[in-house]
Formats: sequence, structure tokens, C-alpha cells
Amino acid sequence: MTDNVHAIVAKVFSISETDVNDESGPENIESWDSFNGLILVDELENNFKIKFSISEITDVKTVADIKRHLKNHNVSVNE
Amino acid sequence: MEKNLSEYVSISKNIENLKLEKTVKIAIMSSFTLNGLDETIRVMCSELDTRCHSYVSGYNQYNQELLNSQSNYYDFSPNITFLILDIRNFLGDTFHYPYDISDEERKLLVKEKTEQLENIISLFEKNTKSKLVISNFNIPFYSPNGIIETKSNFGFHEMIEEINSSLRQMCKEKNSIYVYDFNNFVSRYGENNIFDYRQFHVGDIQITYNLIPNLANDLMSYVKPLLGKTRKCIVLDLDNTLWGGIVGEDGINGIELGHTPTGKAFVEFQKELLSLWNQGIILSINSKNNFDDAMKVIREHPDMILREKHFASIQINWNDKAENMIQISTEANIGLDSFVFFDDDKLNQERIKHEFPEILTVNVSDDPSNFVPILKGINDFNVLHRTTEDSNRGEMYAQQRQRRNFENSVSNLDEFLKQLKIKVKIKKANKFLTPRISQLTLKTNQFNLTTKRYQEEEIQKLSNNENFEVGCAQVLDKFGDNGITGVYIIEKNKNLWIIDTFLLSCRIIGRGIETAILTEIVKKAKQNGITELRANFIPTLKNKPSENFLSDFGFQKNNDYWIYDLNNEIKTSNHLEVETD
Repeated sequence: MTDNVHAIVAKVFSISETDVNDESGPENIESWDSFNGLILVDELENNFKIKFSISEITDVKTVADIKRHLKNHNVSVNE
Repeated sequence: MEKNLSEYVSISKNIENLKLEKTVKIAIMSSFTLNGLDETIRVMCSELDTRCHSYVSGYNQYNQELLNSQSNYYDFSPNITFLILDIRNFLGDTFHYPYDISDEERKLLVKEKTEQLENIISLFEKNTKSKLVISNFNIPFYSPNGIIETKSNFGFHEMIEEINSSLRQMCKEKNSIYVYDFNNFVSRYGENNIFDYRQFHVGDIQITYNLIPNLANDLMSYVKPLLGKTRKCIVLDLDNTLWGGIVGEDGINGIELGHTPTGKAFVEFQKELLSLWNQGIILSINSKNNFDDAMKVIREHPDMILREKHFASIQINWNDKAENMIQISTEANIGLDSFVFFDDDKLNQERIKHEFPEILTVNVSDDPSNFVPILKGINDFNVLHRTTEDSNRGEMYAQQRQRRNFENSVSNLDEFLKQLKIKVKIKKANKFLTPRISQLTLKTNQFNLTTKRYQEEEIQKLSNNENFEVGCAQVLDKFGDNGITGVYIIEKNKNLWIIDTFLLSCRIIGRGIETAILTEIVKKAKQNGITELRANFIPTLKNKPSENFLSDFGFQKNNDYWIYDLNNEIKTSNHLEVETD
């Protein structure tokens, strides 16, 4: 279990953690397609033991959105 | 599974440059999104030292691709095709509203759907050489009819059962078509775990990403036998593996076996092993123990399920377990790469893993109640066809142990061979023999002159081709029937015959049988007025045992092949009887 969202994002999209920031998203990470996006959901859910709703899943455009949704599930995110 | 989907996907990006021994072409077709399955299967193949080239059909395009003989799918020409369909798509509106139509209409719909499956299958048979694995349909737990679903006339669940049963019937007799029991997969992991409505709505994903590796693992059960990568021998420890406790310390009355909860776990494990033995899996013992203490349990303990007769090789001593492993391999005459090692001791597991990476060393937990689920999770024992030889294998290997004892009791080899009363029956290939002949070409490594691998369809084709002769040999002796254990394929040209394939199962090598079979081929060549009989020896890492066979028989080396002078006098062996049909 890690509280580091950036590390999980980096792992799923096979990029360096330093390349991840709040603005990261499908727009600027090439490997962030719908398939990897759902794998990210899986990884986050398994890691934080939560379930996102379908609107939370479809709403994510950036890493900042992920953090916002995690907070709604009472996950304290390491900024 | 060992890894999750995202790990498989990321590994799949780094396997392109690996040097791998074998190649296989796999096509995946599905009626819904199966992302990641392809990547996982490619990684699993690479772990079997095999390069997998894959083809994934367009989303729900399987029907169009099958109907169009120019499609990319046919172009790809796979060895095996997985067609995974889903019941929602397949039944359309009726999946949601099964009771909006009458039971008669439901029957008609099922008939129509069954015909649709029949058409798909006949397209495959007509247009490809690929093996086809087609999934059946899962029966959803829900019915709008609630508790009276089981009272409905040709109800929703019965419809799907009927489709599944028809599918099974239509594929049963077809040699290269298999039904993958997807309904069984769903019952194993649970519909609620497999079907995630969010993934379904987001991307028509009907098997959740978490379980894609499990599905891939199931499908690999078909790929492994296709590649000849299956296991046939389980090597077992005794103390805390077949019974609880240590017989050397606790004695025959002190070990846990039967009656107590822990004792029952060991009995259950032995029952599962026996059931695999009945299907042709060989069992052997590799244990550090006093031989007499341990054998007393095996022979006399009332709750032992496995007895002496079930073991092809028994190594109970204080030697190194790795040494014993080689001894088992020599005695049972099977390669270490067909072994599964089951031992509760972590140190022993490490020792064997390190010494013999080709052996499948099972990660056994300390809890004997886990042994059965662990054993059931090993999908390396599959065969694409169960031949008579497979089912009787356990018994044949026990006979083999008797032969060895007999050999040790007779003073010299000639006497031993004479007393064995060997009979070799040479048979031309027919459709009943084809599966076994193909199986032998796929897995025989040691006594194999050319190591050419032939799938069943290819053997069938060759045996119908008048320019080829495909034959095999059944070997019997005073201890029993060894079954079909030799294969030859001859390419017949006008004056020249070329031995394309000549192989013998390793357990019958060294009894003059190989010479007897080749002598029959020579006789036949003479009778047909052939002027030249040619053979090849293609060396591999494993076929050293057949290296000198051609020169010993009297073949002369000529460039890169071997020639037999058909004017030579034919030698016949006096210790065995040959029968040809």
C-alpha cells in the first residue's frame, strides 16, 4: 500500500514519477488511453480499498481529479 | 495468478527481444472487449520459452472476419483460435426480456442460435487449419422470473443450458474443436466478481481486469499441450506431504493420516493424486527417510490411498534430493522437464528450483488442507486427446518397474530380452491411431532422428497422401502392453524412399525394437523395388540416444544424409516377434 498517487500513475503508464503532476492526464501522457485508464482505476481501488462510482471514473481528466475523488472517499492524499 | 494484469501488460512490452525456443500463432476473437488478454498470453508463452505471435480480431468483428475468406484473420493463419462469446450479445433483447416471448418462440430462438454456432464452426473447419477453442455461455444467476425460474417452461436458464449442451454435442466428435467451459470459469470465480457494471458501461468489458490473467491461464491449458509443454510425473515427498509428521520419529502409529482433521487433509490429497494417476499421470517418491520405515507405511497403513504399485520410481534414502531426481528420471525414463515436484519443505523446494529450473517446483504451503486446491490449480497435465496409452500410463510405468526388477534378476541382457517375449505389431496410420501418432511426434525428444513435430491434422493429411507412408508400432511383452510407442513416416518417391520421421518412446529403447521396425521398412523398400533408402539425423539438445542408430544399423554417411545399401542381407532378430498388418 502506498499513499503516493503519483507513483501509481507512473507505474501504470510506464513513465517516470517525476513526470507526473496535477495537470497530467490523457492530454499529455501518451500511454493514458482508455484501457490503461481503467487499469489505473483498478490499481487505485486495490491500493486504497475503495470503489469509484461510474461518474467519478468517466470524469477524470487529470491527476488532480483523481486526488479530488480520493478525498471524497476519505483517502488522505500525500500532496 | 502470480502477477496482475498491469504487470503482464508492462512485461509484454519487453519480451520482443528475448531469444525463445518455440513459436506459436494465436488468434483471439471475441464479441466484447478483452483488452490485456493478448498481452498476458504472450507473456505466459514467453515463460514457456515460446514466442507467441498474436492476432486480435476487431471489436465484435468475428463473424465478418470468418465470412470473408480474404480477411486478415485467415491471412494470419493461426495454430489456435480462441473465440470468446458472451450471452448478452448472443441473445440480444431476449437476454433482458426472455419472458416477452412464448416458450415456443424461445425454443425457436435457441434453435436459430444453435444453427448460428454450427455455421461458425463449419466456416472454421472449411477455411482454416487452426484449432478452435470456442467458449460456452455462462448462465446468469438472475432471472426476472425469480424463484419460479426452475418451474418455467423452457425458461431463460434452460435456454442457455440447451445452447451449451448443443454446442458440446456438435464439438464432441470434431478433432480440432474444443469447447472452453466459460460457465465453469464463472462459477469458479463468481459472476459478481467477474462482471463489473462500471467496466461494462465504460468499455463493454465483461470480464473484469482483475481476472483476465485467470482467464489467460485457463486458455494456456490448450496452448501447453499444443507446444508439447506438459508435465506427466509428480514427484512426491513423504513426511508432511503424503502424511502428517515424521515416520522416522513418530512411527507408523504416530503419523497423522485419516481420522483427525489434519489426517483427513492428507487422505484427501492422496485421493486427488490417485485420480490423476488414473488419468495417466505418473507418481514417484523422493524422500529422505529410512527405506523400511517409510515402506511399512506405504504397504501397511490402513489409511494410505497410494500404494507401492502406484509409483514408477521410489527413492527413499538419505541422498541429496537432486541426485534422487536424476535417478527417478533415469528409472522412469522421462525428462526432468515433465516433472512436477511436490514437497512441503521450503529448503528442498529451493534446492530443486535452483538445480533444475526445468522442473515445476510447486510452492507448497505448510497447511495440508491447501494441498488439494494447489494441485487442482496446476494446469500442466492436459492432453488434447486422451489416448489409451495416456490412461494406462500409470500402470505401464509400474510394469516398467517390474521389468527392471526382472532385468536385475536375469544374468545377461540377451537372456533378459529373450525372456521378455517382446511382440512388435506394426500398423499403418488410421483415424483411431492419428491422435497418438501426432502426440508421439510432439513429445518424443530422445530417440527421434529428425524431431519433426506434426499436429493431428498434418498426420491425417500425410496418411492420406499416397507419396507418404505413416506407420506406428505397438509393443507388448510378458509384463503387459506398452501401447503405441514407435512412429515412422516415409516419403516415397519413384526409386527413392526417405525416412522423414523415425522415433521411439524412450521407455522401450534398448530392446532391439528400433532395429526390428527399421528392418521392416528395409524389407518393404526391397519388395517395392526401391533403389535408394535415405535417412536423416538432425541433432538436437536431447536426441543423443539416437545418434549412432543409423550407423549401427548399417547406413553409410553420404554428404549430410545417410544411405542404406539395399543389397545388404536383411538381419532378423531372434528375440522378438514382428507382426505387420
